[in-house]
Amino acid sequence: MSELTATDEPLLTLRGIHKRFPGVHALRGVDLDVRCGEVHAVVGENGAGKSTLMQILAGVFPPDAGRIDFDGRQDVVLPDERAAQALGIALVYQERSLFDPMSVAENVFAARQPVTSWGRIDRAVLAARTKALLDEVGLAVAVDVPLERLSPAQQQLVEVAKALSLEPKLILFDEPTGALTPAETERLFRLIRRLRERKIGVIYISHRLEEVFAIADRVTVLKDGAGQGTFDIRDLTPAALAARMVGREVNPHAPRSDPAPSGSRRMLEVCNLNDPANRSGLRPRLQDISFHVRAGEIVGLAGLVGAGRTELAMALFGAREGVTGEIRVQGRRVILGSPAAAIAVGIGYLPEERKDDGLFLEMSIEDNIASVASAQFGSWWYSGRRQRAAAEQLCRTLKIVCRGESEPVKNLSGGNQQKVVLARWLLAHPKVLIVDEPTRGIDIGAKVEIHNLLYDLARTGTAILVISSDLPEILAVSDRVLIMREGRITGELTHAEATEAAVMKYASLG
Amino acid sequence: MSIATKSAGSNYPNTATPARTYSREIDLLLVIYLTAIVFSILYPVSFFSRDNLRVILNNLAVDGILAIGMMTLMIAGVFDLSVGSMLSMVGVVTGWLLVKQNWPVAPAVAAGLVVAALGGLVNGLLVARAQVNALIATLGSLGIFQGIAILIAGPSVSNLPNGFTQLGQTEILGLQLPVWFMLGLAAATHYLLRHTRYFRRFYYVGSNAKAARLSGINVEHMQILGFTLNGLIAGTAGLAFAARVGTAVSTAGVGTELRVITAVILGGASLSGGKGSIPGALIGVVFMALINNVLIIARVSSYWQGIVVGAILVLAVGLDSYQNKARKT
Repeated sequence: MSELTATDEPLLTLRGIHKRFPGVHALRGVDLDVRCGEVHAVVGENGAGKSTLMQILAGVFPPDAGRIDFDGRQDVVLPDERAAQALGIALVYQERSLFDPMSVAENVFAARQPVTSWGRIDRAVLAARTKALLDEVGLAVAVDVPLERLSPAQQQLVEVAKALSLEPKLILFDEPTGALTPAETERLFRLIRRLRERKIGVIYISHRLEEVFAIADRVTVLKDGAGQGTFDIRDLTPAALAARMVGREVNPHAPRSDPAPSGSRRMLEVCNLNDPANRSGLRPRLQDISFHVRAGEIVGLAGLVGAGRTELAMALFGAREGVTGEIRVQGRRVILGSPAAAIAVGIGYLPEERKDDGLFLEMSIEDNIASVASAQFGSWWYSGRRQRAAAEQLCRTLKIVCRGESEPVKNLSGGNQQKVVLARWLLAHPKVLIVDEPTRGIDIGAKVEIHNLLYDLARTGTAILVISSDLPEILAVSDRVLIMREGRITGELTHAEATEAAVMKYASLG
Repeated sequence: MSIATKSAGSNYPNTATPARTYSREIDLLLVIYLTAIVFSILYPVSFFSRDNLRVILNNLAVDGILAIGMMTLMIAGVFDLSVGSMLSMVGVVTGWLLVKQNWPVAPAVAAGLVVAALGGLVNGLLVARAQVNALIATLGSLGIFQGIAILIAGPSVSNLPNGFTQLGQTEILGLQLPVWFMLGLAAATHYLLRHTRYFRRFYYVGSNAKAARLSGINVEHMQILGFTLNGLIAGTAGLAFAARVGTAVSTAGVGTELRVITAVILGGASLSGGKGSIPGALIGVVFMALINNVLIIARVSSYWQGIVVGAILVLAVGLDSYQNKARKT
């Protein structure tokens, strides 16, 4: 534990924060000290209470017990978001809190647009102040363009600009890099360092320990709603930090113990796949894509955001129109006009946006698991009993933490939700499974479990294509790595050759 | 599952071009212009006469007033199916007070407007507080308001006093008062929605209610305000209608919601909220009035009018989602 020294002015002090939700004791007496001009990481697994803590600081709901001192004020009360903002606390949300049809400027100054003395919105001042903030975060877009025309990464930077517009003394980043490329992440880090120089306090939440070590000065670990101590980052190694988060030794990037046999049959072959330019005249998203995946092999698909990896997955899953080229499954040529056709020939897809594209959130775990392979429970007389039995079995093997198979999926944590999506494909026994960002936003413990599930599935002969922006993950799980850039496959590396530097070389230079 | 509509990062503009804020409005103006040209050629005498244009404007005033309130609501991401029966009910309440209770004009009008605002408030409370879906809540009040109107007045209250009918029939520069009222209300609402921070919140609430809450906007409050204002505006439309006709008809507003919502969607509103403008709403109303006028001149049976309006609504929404899809893929 590091001690406060005389020069380190405390900005925020939390003591004994408790928060209960129905059935959950989310925070059990958490302490936290943040100094002016420090980057303080808060880490922990999903459900450890990080988000709850941040929401208390942002005024979303009050703590049940405990004391908050901020910026020289004793025992402050934060009844709502406005109050927190007025005190100088800004939160960069993990889930987008932006307005698609509205201009960038009106997103940054949402409901706080500068007005003239007549009460009329002053568009000149609005544009100028927005421009200044966009420059600060390094975003080169016109201030009056509608937000929906920006990429996810650009939108994330708008979110940062919005927080900065509050001129906060303390700024909270909740998983800010999910949508960012390494270059954009580095730019965000430079911005955070500038904030630190201006004596602004920064709380940084991330699952990616590499980022914590790259940016943080100190780190506070939460586990099951209780603080596990605050540490100087220089006193820790990534392994030691991971062990504190999980409570046991884990290696988040353990490779397969039994790599794929090299001579096995080609399950998936792709030849000259092209996605011609669409009506709006954009350049093609996929160009001359050719590769194969063997039975039991895990092939990683690396590349920057926008390189075309998800588009390729969509094409292989029959969810993109107008794609030309040849796709073979087990040597037989297939025409993939729709996801239904892809599923019929044995291709499965675990989508990147788990909640939007992967799950029926209001429906039960068992209905979600059965949604693809429901035919095996009967076509004319659907057997709910057999569906339940199959779901029960999968919940056990996948260690899905739930109150029962009939619980709605929306109640589960991110890691368990992802296991439900995986369970669906396990039930369908696909020949080829494409997983897109399988562990995004999932804590280390569940991440290791999901990797092990992929290894198990490969062992049964399924060909697996893994898309991930988490480079260490790709390097760990893949027998072979393909690298995409601007719609082309620009490189191929074996497990032994694949290093971060080698992958990035192909991903950014081609 | 909407996986097919997701798009790639690298294809977004880096230095994006400025927004075309009024594109929908301009497109529709062009269509109106072309329609007008075609019909001036087909029916040179009856269509393109000063009198006919005046009739079109006088007739569209009531729909125009309603569209202003509906556009505001739809910007906030909700809508109100009860405007037609609200129109009937307020006309009938005021007419009944004037004729059966012998109230003077001013208090009778005021009472009508109070009823209108209360009706809107109830809709707002149902949607924002009780979290009843707007479709269900306002479908319910559609039935209720219609029933109240018939209970009070039977089929109609006729022989409305002169002091009241003047409100609808007085002409300035050849146009009746409701037209001028519509224009004034439109100008004021346009200013508020476009240039004041408070009313601009309707756009935020409509485009992302959760984000609006996180930005410190009281979403419930704005929705209740929107419904109340819309009720009040529908009430003034009811008064204007009754005053123009000289009779408060209990079923005066039947089918109005279809016309008004169609006009507002044509004018750029979206069912998902956050989009649209008052000029757009008026242009949409003008288009609908033009089509209606043409059907009358061409002596098409009035039964066809409902079919045409319904078809336009479906086409407009279809076109909108087609354009969205084309933009995204």
